[in-house]
Amino acid sequence: MTLKQGKSNQTYRVRSIHTSLDLERRLEALGLTEGSLITIINNDKKGAMTARFRGTRFALGRSIAEHIEVTEAADHE
Amino acid sequence: MNSKKSINVGFIGNPNCGKTTLFNAFTGANLKVANWPGVTVEKKEGTTYYQGQEFRLIDLPGIYSLTSYSMEETVSRECIMSDEVDVIVDVIDASSLERNLYLTLQLLELGKPVVLALNMMDIVEERGMELDLHRLPEMLGVPAIPVSARKKSGLSILMHAVAHHSEMQAQGPLIHHHPGLHSSHRHDHHSEYAMVYTDEIEDKIDAIIVRLKETYPDLENKRWHAIKYLEADESVTSQYPIDVTGIADRSYEKEIINQKYDFIEEVIGEVLVNKSQKAAFTDRIDHFLTHRLLGLPIFLAIMALVFFLTFAIGDWLKGYFELLLEMFSGAVGNFLTGIHVNAMLQSLILDGVISGVGGILTFLPNIFILFLALAILEDSGYMSRVAFVMDDIMSKLGLSGRAFLPLLLGFGCSVPAVMASRTLEDPKDRFKTVLVTPFMSCSARLPIYVLFSSMFFGKNAMLVCYSLYLLGIVTAIATAFILSKIDGSKASHSLLIELPEYKSPNARTIAIYVWQKIKDYLTKAGTVIFVASVILWVILNFGPSGYVTDISQSFGAMIGKLAVPLFRPAGLGYWQIIVALISGIAAKEVVVSSCSVLFGIQNITTAHGMSAMAATLASMGFGAANAYAMMVFCLLYIPCTATIGTMHRELHSWKSTIGIILFQLGIAWIMSTLIYHLILLFI
Repeated sequence: MTLKQGKSNQTYRVRSIHTSLDLERRLEALGLTEGSLITIINNDKKGAMTARFRGTRFALGRSIAEHIEVTEAADHE
Repeated sequence: MNSKKSINVGFIGNPNCGKTTLFNAFTGANLKVANWPGVTVEKKEGTTYYQGQEFRLIDLPGIYSLTSYSMEETVSRECIMSDEVDVIVDVIDASSLERNLYLTLQLLELGKPVVLALNMMDIVEERGMELDLHRLPEMLGVPAIPVSARKKSGLSILMHAVAHHSEMQAQGPLIHHHPGLHSSHRHDHHSEYAMVYTDEIEDKIDAIIVRLKETYPDLENKRWHAIKYLEADESVTSQYPIDVTGIADRSYEKEIINQKYDFIEEVIGEVLVNKSQKAAFTDRIDHFLTHRLLGLPIFLAIMALVFFLTFAIGDWLKGYFELLLEMFSGAVGNFLTGIHVNAMLQSLILDGVISGVGGILTFLPNIFILFLALAILEDSGYMSRVAFVMDDIMSKLGLSGRAFLPLLLGFGCSVPAVMASRTLEDPKDRFKTVLVTPFMSCSARLPIYVLFSSMFFGKNAMLVCYSLYLLGIVTAIATAFILSKIDGSKASHSLLIELPEYKSPNARTIAIYVWQKIKDYLTKAGTVIFVASVILWVILNFGPSGYVTDISQSFGAMIGKLAVPLFRPAGLGYWQIIVALISGIAAKEVVVSSCSVLFGIQNITTAHGMSAMAATLASMGFGAANAYAMMVFCLLYIPCTATIGTMHRELHSWKSTIGIILFQLGIAWIMSTLIYHLILLFI
């Protein structure tokens, strides 16, 4: 599943990122690497969403969130 | 600490770590703001003293990492590597260690003295978190000084550490306890470096160092260069080309990043004693401010308030400024007449300089209030939420969510609106926003609409005015939309922005921010406007015969007459109208006063004056269609000199500024021609 399909308040593990090289590098430098955890804060809107990873909240555009493949992770990871 | 030479200190840290507040706590408002050579990234410098030692402080841009993918990162990296920085002060938001330590690990690899400034310790305590301030320097090998930028505590200890550390070439002792994790690598890197990679990576680093030594024996810090080689960093590999086949046939960037974060987790595990217990206050506020349905109305309400304060209160104050200016101008006039200064010089001073530059000063209240409001919104952490809330709508236009603010402010005055575009991070976004913002009909254009629509449209005047506002919005949206289709780089519009913790804004940070903006406006825009007003005055007051009092004999009139064929298709082929339009470049509302001079009609805004002018115009064949075309042209053509000066200030490029002006002139001509002929078809 993609991050965009995720539920609010649920934590996911990043499987892979398929965006432009430039954006992928920016995400990686922020710590959103393959295998890292990301917790969705608010995914109620059609467009952008908010999520927390590596201890910080971020707003992510839909075009990014749709290109991040994730799997569900246990709640308290 | 008797060395006389000043110590150069580079302040670096993540965005939102409180770095600027800390920097300001040292320097006060006494700082030099310039741009980094060749780029539009701000560079701030200041000095501070501690025990007789001078420290020269440089505030580097807020960045998350030291790669060279963005302008900010490249600038920071080059500055830190150069002689401009002796000691690096890494400002860390202690309440968000995990994110901040990533940059720290990269800084440690540079091989320069690093001192950690643990900022926001008050928030750490507030949340019931505890940090082991003894263990952190042990694991990283550099001093870590707790400071509070807001309470101004820990400042002298920080400078003390900087002074001491600048003299030390080596890092402090590293104490790694890795039970069961001990490296089997043949070098005991754990005693040398805080960040040690897996054996696979370390072997590669060693192998690259050997090759670097062969080709560049004098290269300093070969380990850092070797790591950059493994990351396939373009600036390092092109600057120091060596053959790395067999060692780094692909980029090991992912491994290097992951291993850094693994080490950070290890550090956090040992240093962070109590994790945040309070369900963050920020999440509760965000529940409303970024709510699916409530987010937008709340934002619009806040914007309405900013708009109201800027233009209602600002304009009220502006009225007094204008009154003062009139009195000043009158007094100067009397004085000049008193000492028998000749009429030409008097006109230059009164009509050229004072009315031009003074007109700019009257915008000060608006600008002050606007930037006060913006600084509060920015410092509290709300601005990045705006990007999130507006992203869906604005991304359809190919603009960032934050661009909404400048567009909205454009209805009041293009000058603060263009200035507000600096809250946009992406230079492309900034350019597009600056380009379309003047299409939003500013309040100075209203007098023109009122004059021409009441002359030619009678009862429908209001409707006509309204249609012009709509036309401006449609043109702005269409331009943004078409531009985004042309440059087509969709990825650059994808939103990726940190949502920092909310905090109460810091008065000092805000005061310095607002003061800088005002100083900026007065000096930079002021000089351009001064020159422009003098040039316009010359054009309108000089002719082939020298100084003229009759405007129809001026160069302006000659230009107007020459331009008649060019403006005829748009229904504006009258030299007086063209001269009025030229004078409107000084300020849009001047078009009205110029018309009164050019057509020799006094009290042009009264019913009597209007009917006299309408009659004059009608006798020249200038009808309703021409009037509408005229208003459309005024809506879209070259913005006023104040806006031009501000555009240049924000874009740092005459090429872009002139490009925008020509583009707007072109759009104005095309639209007014189109609309003129459309109206003629239907009448």
